[in-house]
Amino acid sequence: MSTHDAHGSGGYHEEGSYLSGPPGMISKIWQWASTVDHKKIGVMYLVSVLAMFFLGGMAAMAVRYELLDPVRTVITQMEVDGVMTEVISTTGDRLTPIAKLIGADSANQAYNRLFTLHGAVMVFMFIVPSIPASLGNFFLPIMLGAKDVAFPRLNLLSWYIYVVGSLFGVLSIIMGGVDTGWTFYTPYSTTTDADHIRVVFMVLAAFILGFSSILTGLNFIVTVHKLRAPGMGWFDMPLFIWGLYATSIIQVLATPVIGITLFLLIFERVMHIGIFDPSMGGDPVLYQHFFWFYSHPVVYVMILPGMGIISELLAVHSRKHIFGYRAIAFSSLGIAAVSFLVWGHHIFTAMGELAAILFSGLTFLVAIPTAIKMFNWIATLYKGSIAINTPMLYALIFLFTFSIGGLTGLPLATLSTDLHLHDSYYVVAHFHYVMMGGTVMAFMGGIHHWWPKMFGKMYNEWGGMLGGILVFIGFNLTFFTQFMLGTQGMPRRYANYVDEFQSLHVLSTYGSWILLIGFLVHLATFIHSLIAGEKAPANPWGGLSLEWETQSPPIEHNFHHEPVLTHGPYDFETVVPPHCDPKDYPLPENPSAH
Amino acid sequence: MMMPVLASTEPGFLQKFIFGGYSASRPGAQSDALFMMILWFSIFFFVLLMGLMIFFVIKYRRRPGVPAIPSPNHNTLLEIFWTVVPSSSMLVFFVLGFQSCTEKMVVPDNAMELNITAVKWSWDVTYPNGAKSPESQPLSYHKDPVTGVVTKGRDFPIFYIPENTDVRLKMISVDVIHSFWIPDFRTKMDVIPNRYTGYGFRTPALTVDDIMPDGETIQRDMWIFCAEYCGDEHSRMAATLRVVPMDVFEQKMMEWNKPKSPVVHGQQLWKQMCAACHTVDGKASTGPTLSRATIDGVEFGYGYDAQLVGGTMVPRDDNYYRRAILDPHSEVIVGYNPVMSDFSGLLDEDAVFALIAFIKNLSDRGTAGDSSEESDNSEAAESAGGDS
Amino acid sequence: MTTMTDANNPPVPERIAKSPSHWRNRKHADHFRNHDEEFDASKFGMWLFLTTEVLLFAGIFVAYAVFRMMYPEAWANGSNHLDWVYGGANTVVLLISSWTAASAVRCAQINNQKWLKINLIITILCAGLFLFIKFKYEYMVKLGDGKAPGTFFSYPNASDAHEQLWWSLYYMGTGLHALHVVIGAGLLCWVLVRSIKYQAYGPTEYTMVENTALYWHIVDLIWIFLFPLLYLVH
Ligand code: HEA
Ligand code: HEA
Ligand code: HEC
Ligand code: CUA
Ligand SMILES: [Cu+2]
Repeated sequence: MSTHDAHGSGGYHEEGSYLSGPPGMISKIWQWASTVDHKKIGVMYLVSVLAMFFLGGMAAMAVRYELLDPVRTVITQMEVDGVMTEVISTTGDRLTPIAKLIGADSANQAYNRLFTLHGAVMVFMFIVPSIPASLGNFFLPIMLGAKDVAFPRLNLLSWYIYVVGSLFGVLSIIMGGVDTGWTFYTPYSTTTDADHIRVVFMVLAAFILGFSSILTGLNFIVTVHKLRAPGMGWFDMPLFIWGLYATSIIQVLATPVIGITLFLLIFERVMHIGIFDPSMGGDPVLYQHFFWFYSHPVVYVMILPGMGIISELLAVHSRKHIFGYRAIAFSSLGIAAVSFLVWGHHIFTAMGELAAILFSGLTFLVAIPTAIKMFNWIATLYKGSIAINTPMLYALIFLFTFSIGGLTGLPLATLSTDLHLHDSYYVVAHFHYVMMGGTVMAFMGGIHHWWPKMFGKMYNEWGGMLGGILVFIGFNLTFFTQFMLGTQGMPRRYANYVDEFQSLHVLSTYGSWILLIGFLVHLATFIHSLIAGEKAPANPWGGLSLEWETQSPPIEHNFHHEPVLTHGPYDFETVVPPHCDPKDYPLPENPSAH
Repeated sequence: MMMPVLASTEPGFLQKFIFGGYSASRPGAQSDALFMMILWFSIFFFVLLMGLMIFFVIKYRRRPGVPAIPSPNHNTLLEIFWTVVPSSSMLVFFVLGFQSCTEKMVVPDNAMELNITAVKWSWDVTYPNGAKSPESQPLSYHKDPVTGVVTKGRDFPIFYIPENTDVRLKMISVDVIHSFWIPDFRTKMDVIPNRYTGYGFRTPALTVDDIMPDGETIQRDMWIFCAEYCGDEHSRMAATLRVVPMDVFEQKMMEWNKPKSPVVHGQQLWKQMCAACHTVDGKASTGPTLSRATIDGVEFGYGYDAQLVGGTMVPRDDNYYRRAILDPHSEVIVGYNPVMSDFSGLLDEDAVFALIAFIKNLSDRGTAGDSSEESDNSEAAESAGGDS
Repeated sequence: MTTMTDANNPPVPERIAKSPSHWRNRKHADHFRNHDEEFDASKFGMWLFLTTEVLLFAGIFVAYAVFRMMYPEAWANGSNHLDWVYGGANTVVLLISSWTAASAVRCAQINNQKWLKINLIITILCAGLFLFIKFKYEYMVKLGDGKAPGTFFSYPNASDAHEQLWWSLYYMGTGLHALHVVIGAGLLCWVLVRSIKYQAYGPTEYTMVENTALYWHIVDLIWIFLFPLLYLVH
């Protein structure tokens, strides 16, 4: 991308990267802690969300381990008088070690706290901030050709708010955790552990994290509007930016509603204002409406940035112009718009039939823009030059697993089938296929894709591929079985279950172990890369968007000179990628006209 | 319209595999058929897209020095095509979905109405004649693969319903939100405090497949699960729905409505509503045991002093138990959390009376039956079964 | 610009003119291309933020509507207990303050330092007056009667079992609004202090004044909705 580089065409030489800082531990830490550089903030976010992913993942492992057996495993099994006995619930010395560890009063309560912890950590602390706040923060300004986001100090503030919010969550967990489920349905959530502050802390955590999310979204919207490089029109932006832009709109518009909901919930707990409490005439279903008015749109906060990443990965690694650029860009906005109209599909079983019918119809609308994207992505591969590497592998995994996740959303949107499937493992499988199989796979792909740019080191390709394949196998084994469990009648949030579900549960648990190994391989690969990785070139994949223009890792101000856009991000047919040898990326003789 | 067509096809192997069997109700079978229709639609697109993807990845894999082959980067006709096709199929699913939902909900006016009250963590079903089911069975027997020890799960109530009958459920909860799910009927509905909800179904006709191994009884058991998370014992808020021939059902109704002594009546009530949290064998559970016991120096049982949070000791007498049942949060036993639901809306005087009689009977200091006269019994039983 | 001297605008003392935040020699932040762009961006950001504020209160309004439909009696009784005189007085107070806030922006734009400060002071005083009326004549009196939220509700003459809900919602809505008044007043004080200390705002640098005023308008606007719903509709 021909920027007017001061060093001329051949005279490219490196400047100190954003990673180089003052000597000395204290000043380094201070430099990071007080930085307003979007890249450093992005990296801090990346580390924090991965830590939360690890925490949530460990809780998931415990959940899966408990489900190995209908009644008795680590959490609910105990030896009493030499015989392994089913411990329904316990007091005092009849607590199993794990239950004791989490400070639960009974074995089932320990399980309930674990899945709540898992769900709350994964949703509020991991997946919502994951892609936008880490990769988004790092690359959104660079891809726009800007020096920073519009409000750098607000950006840092948002990270601190995130940390404070997460600390409240972790504090609540240390104090024993909560057993409300991540949805905090009233009146259960307002009455459980009545004399304890834990639940308030967890709700407060989600409340605070909301502000962090709003600030990020607000920052991105303004940045996209105001700080695009000269010459960059709306339709010259990479699709990742479009994804982030649509995400930000949802974040800004939906998060305040969860804010007021959680605010009322906190007051409901501390002084029983009664708004959601049926015993005082309040309406618990109103709470559910409020909650899902945010939490449905938020599932697209999770997926839209992931979809953006996939568009990048597929185009760059198959050296093809993305098929149907505008359709993909507009479908992101379409998804964002429709997402506000469908929240009711989570509570078909709690509301009137008429409303249910309305929401069912609207829900189907949201599947259409997604289907459009799907077709466009596959069409992008057509006649490409497809590299098989870790980012591409993850893009393909995404297409596979996300399709399953999305398509299994259709019977949930269908009124009569949802009456059966609601709150069963079918739903659990559905949302893991979209969140884990969608967002997390895209995130992993994105991390690998941009890793060289972020840290200036290459990762070991074999490590990446091996990890990816293990994750793919483990993931499908873990969650495909759960579809069957659900259709056959296994309710979710069950610490115990009837015997005939056992074999499927066992398979699922084995899958989760493979999954764990896969992620450990990735972790090892990343650590290895940081310590001993090969030095990364400025443009290892031959990408055309602006981040490949600058050196790896980028300098403090991203670019030596303000870039001026002269071609689109996907013009692989006509443009030699910057910093690349034309021999490696030959251009076709007669590019097609578009 | 289209639903009968869908349901008239015999369920295939795949459908049986996915659902673990055939739905016990007609609307259930229809929604299964609809599910299968969506599934085949999904499989079609999934295979199509993944097939193309894999084909492209192999065919167009990167060869060093070879550029990608130029091709247009959009095609309006194609894009319109793949927008319209999904949209129209979505419309079909939507319409079929709400039609079949209506069928699941609507029941004839003369349907048998069951009153269902949900309480943490059990289901309380009252039959039209006021009777309640005293029967129960363990939901699971678990054999430990290593030790071979068989553990019997806790007892769960059995609710009888006659075959070939329209049934309507009228449901309400006294504490938090629950959800009444009968997987075999493929439907569920939330049970909410302060508001009636419900649905209906037609029970299936029993067939030769339903004859029990003994060769005489004919019945079909189905599960009832609580599907909305409601706390510690959510996963054990289960019951069995037993479809039996009409004459067996009527006989049961007669039998259950016979007058009982308060102690027996109390025991039934305990099984239905209290057993989720209170044992009568001296073991601690979510709540304290109701029988005579000493656990870690704390006394339990009628006639022994109750040690409350805050240190006070209160003698356990009739009035204490009355308070403990109807206003459970006024006095809380040390070592327990105040999670017991408020039963005042659910139990009338006679039921409380029967419960206390039962609890008294469990202790060496309770002089069983001294305050109850034979003549009270029929009354107690009758009104205890009444509407809650 | 720097040569402008008139009665309202005495020459800027050296100490102030050299202060880093001074608008006369202010540089835009590094990542913006120019000053206008920076100004536009801040204002755009503020508008987005205000949208979130409106949506925050939307939750309260929806709850209000739902319960009004469920318990019309309790809602009618509840609003009968509120004296529209105090509510009305507060409405007037806020309207005036909104006007002075807008004038403050105007003053910054035309570099009328004196009236900038006076306008800000009036606005802050109005905020104080609002809170004073709210607490002294409404909250204290009502709490004294036992018309308190949630568990603290002990009003003996409640005519409807659900009146308690009304009071909960009343306190949640007006309390959250009062919190916003406090935050707004805090921002206004900050702007005032900086304009006294550094003459920090002038024709080329009034972003902060403008954004604070915008925030204040929203606080006002929300009250304009709360007032009729709570006090006037029976
Ligand atoms: C990343 C998050 C994410 C995403 C993207 C989605 C996407 C979708 N979800 Fe999901 N969902 C969740 C996360 C997500 N969901 C979560 C977390 C829950 C449960 C929360 C809880 O209760 O704890 C949930 C629950 C949930 C329910 C409630 C279930 C219940 O509790 O009873 C419903 C019901 O309608 C639903 C529907 C859908 C639909 C229709 C889509 C659509 O957007 C899907 C669109 C995608 C496709 C259609 C597939 C791709 C397209 C093709 C392969 C092309 C061919 C397709 C066609 C021609 C149509 N979801
Ligand atoms: C982002 C969202 C997300 C993700 C990723 C996951 C991931 C997993 N979940 Fe998740 N799950 C939820 C969100 C998520 N879940 C939610 C919202 C609920 C509902 C909760 C509720 O009902 O309230 C739920 C509920 C839920 C249940 C149902 C519990 C019940 O209803 O009783 C189960 C059961 O199997 C389960 C299992 C798993 C497993 C095995 C994983 C695995 O995929 C986890 C694998 C991850 C790891 C093993 C961590 C490895 C990490 C590292 C080693 C760190 C280093 C990493 C790198 C360098 C990349 N989850
Ligand atoms: C949700 C679980 C739960 C259910 C269901 C439940 N209880 Fe309790 N119960 C408790 C707990 C916990 C305590 C101890 C704390 C307290 O005193 O409130 C308790 C205490 C009691 C006590 C006092 C015990 C003592 O030793 O002094 C009595 C009596 C009692 N319950 C009776 C009943 C009866 C009768 C029923 C059924 C109609 C019932 N409970 C249902 C949980 C439950
Ligand atoms: Cu009752 Cu779950
Ligand atoms: Cu949803």
